[in-house]
Amino acid sequence: MSDDLLSTAARALREEPVEHEPARFTRARVMSSLHKQQRGRTRKIAFLLPIAAVLVGSTAFATAGGRLPQAVTQVLGISPTPTLPRPAERAAPLVRRAPRLAQPAPTAAAAPEPETTAAPAPEPEESPKAAASAGVPVDPTHELYRVAHRRHFTESNPAGALAAWDAYLAAAPRGRFATEAQYNRALCLVRLGRNAEARAALEPFAAGRYGGYRQREARELSDALGR
Amino acid sequence: MTVNVDVSLSYAGVDDDAQAELCARLERGEPAAIGQVYDEHHEAVRAFATRLVGEPASAEDLVHEVFVSLPRVIRGFRGESSLRTFLISVAVNHARHFVRSATRRRAAMQKLGDEPPVSSPNPERDLRRRELAEALTRALDALPLDQRVAFVLCDVEERSSSQVARIVDAPEGTVRTRLFHARKKLRALLEEEGFR
Repeated sequence: MSDDLLSTAARALREEPVEHEPARFTRARVMSSLHKQQRGRTRKIAFLLPIAAVLVGSTAFATAGGRLPQAVTQVLGISPTPTLPRPAERAAPLVRRAPRLAQPAPTAAAAPEPETTAAPAPEPEESPKAAASAGVPVDPTHELYRVAHRRHFTESNPAGALAAWDAYLAAAPRGRFATEAQYNRALCLVRLGRNAEARAALEPFAAGRYGGYRQREARELSDALGR
Repeated sequence: MTVNVDVSLSYAGVDDDAQAELCARLERGEPAAIGQVYDEHHEAVRAFATRLVGEPASAEDLVHEVFVSLPRVIRGFRGESSLRTFLISVAVNHARHFVRSATRRRAAMQKLGDEPPVSSPNPERDLRRRELAEALTRALDALPLDQRVAFVLCDVEERSSSQVARIVDAPEGTVRTRLFHARKKLRALLEEEGFR
């Protein structure tokens, strides 16, 4: 076979008529496909945007509320802001919900041993310095609360803790942790054997003046002290 | 019938700014821009697709694919060659699937002896030409895609090897080697079919 024949065959293929009849149909098909692609993209955005917004919003809300788990804050590099007090911790007598920090309740038969009834109040999550560096306004009374908390729960120093709780309450009688401070102050009095004062301090809790907060424990302690 | 094939490397009549603007519009997927490019170049793309694939329906699908993918692939166009040449290279990149399916269909048709009869208005020359074209298309089915592309672009569409090298993004020497092997195999295959 000569090269001429291959060239002739190539020329024959070149000269084969090319149907341009379907050109208009293909053009419409191209436009329709592009339109569909664009609509798909728009739909994807319309679907993903609200999800992204909810995620960002809820993360911001959780961060502001201090509810973002520590692991997440570490991964994201977010400085946790101080925890907002739970409703029951705001010293509002009308609040019904008890905080989740309640310790196992002492039995009625148990001696009024402060160790068994001591309820560790929430420790402020962040030092004022750290909070200040995070750009969050810090309540100066938090430091007083922190000192009292340490003396009470870490150092087990009821006398020192009592003075510190008093200092905190004097500085912030209606502070964020005033209710916990009042209750812990009563526990210090129990530990120091100042039973009458302790009963007087527990009485508002037992009477439900702080809602359900420590009501049962206060009642049981008062009963045990009265025996 | 002869189909005009653009072999120039310049985008005649359109300056760089206009081309850049057109590319930007294509990238944004503007229907008007894609329609404009389609209207200007669909014949060349269709002609190449038909010769490469050897079947009008698959060729049409390939043309569709080329223009639909344009907003995505236009980023790869650097203006070193004409837009038409770029579109041909896009067709080459998308051709594999279409060539394979067209080849399978042709093989099945041949097996069943269901090839549509030649409907030439009987002039001998037309008949001979048609037979040769069909034999060549069948022979092309036996080639690897890169050799097939090289043969169609160089020998059927009469493009220079440097231009083909740009289209297939391969060195010119590689294109010539592919062409050499393609011609050798095609000669043998046409001889097997009884063409001398």
